Amino acid sequence: MTKRYVLVHDENKCIGCQACNVACRSENNVPESVTRIQVRIEGPYGNFPHLHFKYNRVSCEQCENAPCVKVCPTGAAYVNADGIVSINEKKCVGCLYCVAACPYKVRFINPETRVPDKCDFCKETRLARGEEPACVSVCPTQALTFGDANDLNSEVRKVLDTKPHYQQKVNLGTEPRVYRIPSRKGGIKA
Amino acid sequence: MKLDRRTFIKGAGAGTATCALATLPGSLAALGHSELQGSAESVASICEMCSTRCPISARVVNGKNVSILGNANAKSFGGAVCARGGAGHSQLYDKQRIVKPLKRVGERGEGNWQEIEWDEAYRTIAENLNRIKAEHGAQSVAFSSKSGSLSGHLFHLAKAFGSPNTFTHASTCPGSYVIAAKAMFGGKIKRDLSNSKYIINFGHNLYEGINMSETRGMMNAQMEKGAKLVVFEPRFSIVADKADEWYAIKPGTDVAVALAICHVLIKDDLYDKEFVAQYVTGFDEFAKEVNAYTPEWAESVSDVPAEDIRRITHEYAAAAPHALVDFGHRSSFTTEEFEMRRALYAANVLVGNIERKGGLYFGKKAASYNKFAGDKVAPTLAKPGVDGMPKIDAKRIDMVDEQYAMTWSSGGIYQTILDATLDAVPYQLRAWVMSRTNPMQTMTDRARIVETLQKLDFVVACDIYISESAAYADIFLPESTYLERDEEIADKSGKNPAYYVRQRVVETIGDTKPSWQIWKELADELGQGQFFPWENMETLQLFQVQRDVNLLRRIKDEGFVSFGKPLMLRERSMVSAFAASYPNAKPVDEDGTYASHLSFKTPSGKIELSSDKVEKMAPGRGVIRYREVTMKKADELFFIQGKVAVHTNSATQNVPMLANLMSDNALWIHPITAGLLNISSGDKIRIYNDTGSEEGHALVTPGIRPDTVFAYMGCGSKNKELARATGKGVHCGNLLPHVTSPVTGMNLHTTGVKVAKI
Repeated sequence: MTKRYVLVHDENKCIGCQACNVACRSENNVPESVTRIQVRIEGPYGNFPHLHFKYNRVSCEQCENAPCVKVCPTGAAYVNADGIVSINEKKCVGCLYCVAACPYKVRFINPETRVPDKCDFCKETRLARGEEPACVSVCPTQALTFGDANDLNSEVRKVLDTKPHYQQKVNLGTEPRVYRIPSRKGGIKA
Repeated sequence: MKLDRRTFIKGAGAGTATCALATLPGSLAALGHSELQGSAESVASICEMCSTRCPISARVVNGKNVSILGNANAKSFGGAVCARGGAGHSQLYDKQRIVKPLKRVGERGEGNWQEIEWDEAYRTIAENLNRIKAEHGAQSVAFSSKSGSLSGHLFHLAKAFGSPNTFTHASTCPGSYVIAAKAMFGGKIKRDLSNSKYIINFGHNLYEGINMSETRGMMNAQMEKGAKLVVFEPRFSIVADKADEWYAIKPGTDVAVALAICHVLIKDDLYDKEFVAQYVTGFDEFAKEVNAYTPEWAESVSDVPAEDIRRITHEYAAAAPHALVDFGHRSSFTTEEFEMRRALYAANVLVGNIERKGGLYFGKKAASYNKFAGDKVAPTLAKPGVDGMPKIDAKRIDMVDEQYAMTWSSGGIYQTILDATLDAVPYQLRAWVMSRTNPMQTMTDRARIVETLQKLDFVVACDIYISESAAYADIFLPESTYLERDEEIADKSGKNPAYYVRQRVVETIGDTKPSWQIWKELADELGQGQFFPWENMETLQLFQVQRDVNLLRRIKDEGFVSFGKPLMLRERSMVSAFAASYPNAKPVDEDGTYASHLSFKTPSGKIELSSDKVEKMAPGRGVIRYREVTMKKADELFFIQGKVAVHTNSATQNVPMLANLMSDNALWIHPITAGLLNISSGDKIRIYNDTGSEEGHALVTPGIRPDTVFAYMGCGSKNKELARATGKGVHCGNLLPHVTSPVTGMNLHTTGVKVAKI
């Protein structure tokens, strides 16, 4: 069976500490002026003293139905067999259609390679060595679960089967492979 | 500088990018550096991006990058690192890092430096210190260092030199909880957050001031085991957000709520009478005192509703003994810290959670653990001692009052350096040797520190960057970063004994040295070389393991080695598993525990809820008591500070990756207050009081009490050498008054300010 790599971000466990941001930058040599992942601490929402923050992971959503792939005129943007939205640098002509098409605004031009860049679940680096993505490994509070959702015994499958979760902008039909466990303070009672 | 094609090309590139900036003498940018030489295989080591010192595993990637992860052998750390830890390599080869000794060539603090060789640096320091010693006595030189593995080497130098005046940063950060624990338990105590079912937290922000094992432990307890977390904090911090209940307590009134919790525990008969009878002295005096501290009274002081204090106390007692009141970390909230931290400990003692899962416990180091096991389960480490050290007759400068006696062996009262220099109290200080410490930011009353540094005859600073304090040095000594250093084996025992060690991951960059070597070489120049008989770090490590090379190799290979199994003396399941493992183990008590072996290093051998010793040291303070304090004027707002997850106090603001994440600190203001002052988010504002005045910008947010403003500490450096940090944000130390709190000798980090739009 083919792999279907997915990632689950638990907004209850996330503390917005940016360990993921830094680890990703180091592991993937991401230049200073751009970022593949950050967690935005948004809010606080509500009225004093009934407040809550939102911990918003801003990174590639690894869409099943990826707009960036659809608009790419050369096939440089593609979905790999393992479900990871990937970039073939050789085919890229730098038209920026993919950057414009991404509804999550997480594709950017790498100032050093001049090619679109974004999170690829560390597939060239850590995944290739049989390790989890950098953000997952370093997360101080174990807020991230990564794995093959087609493997019924995987941890990520168990999490998705037992915890309430949502995806962002599902109305666009993008079918993201990044899932989020909503904060219990976000107004949705778990 | 060796000029080959590579450095030439690199130099040319750097020149075009930064032609407008003058290059800082002694910096990596000025001296250039080649590819990183280091291990491509993972090396186990210890992080130093903050003082938690997490076990890490690091390797050089393609000669240009260092991958830093947590060491998976340290289970409670889970192989994780925080953003600061992950950014260690960014500090390592930061172009603004200083990699050559410097001497001042202009006025102090003016920022004119000249590169010199180590020989000249040592010679200059030795000439000056020996002259001052001959003229005024060795005690007129103060030595201060960030506490940690290598501070011992500087303090050893101080003793060899003949000065009693050694200081850590304790009185500017964690001092009070240590002093309060000494008074009550006879020594430091730990918290078992990961097994706790109910945690009451007074602003110990473990989700921003990350301490990896505790942060993970508490999150795990909360999310996987259903622990309840109650937070009392004036600001809506991340830990407040993650709490089940948050109360925006009035700054400085935590002690009132803690005492009210104790009041309810006793009044409603919720406390563990057997525990108190067996292990506690001074209960009656304490109970008599807290009789007046009703929840209703606490509400009038703190703004926390009485009914909630009562309910929370009942919930806490129901979860006990697997419940705890967190005694905090940074403990400079009020001048009544001593009473506050003791009150927090008292709320633990009353529910009998000592040496119980989810409560408080003592570290089990090898020697005591082995005694229980009746066997050498864990190796003990030898401590090198040096014969013939000079006898020091002079008193420490902080020995002005007996009430501070407990601080003298715990880092001392750091800020007395200012009094001794400026006012000759108790005598005149003339020189200051500082290592990896930045009092200009972490102490209080910045102007007074500038005055002090201007007045001293001689100032030496050892650091990685020219910090705001190092900017006033006469001689600057560049230390190697932790990724370039080997150090002694360190004890990391928790519920069972454990050791770990810092090892170099990369070859030294530039002309830097580890501080253990710096102080040893300086001792040679000072004529005290005989007191540093070890050759190098390996000699010291081998001495520690008593030449057991296999043990040393194991600790180095694994990086973190623990021995035996977890033991809490009053936890039956742990004690029975322990006794079953070791045939010669001490016989278990009738109730299946080691409860009868639990003792305390206090004068009475018991937990001293009230203390005759303290009463003698500080009359009136033997019994924990509430005293009203005034920390601001009526027309001022409370000003409080805290930590952020991407910076360590004042140490990391110039590290490129971290500066990129955050280089400024806005002032948090409640919308109602902001409305009255006509301030909107992003507005430029002035924050001022009798101590100082700062400019910054506002963040209008409901996440703060209307009578309080908040800023993350460590920003707003004023020296020009920290190019990424200078002039960005509010300098907190410039607004905090110079105060020394009773008994604990602590600085005070809560004050009053006015805020105006500019």
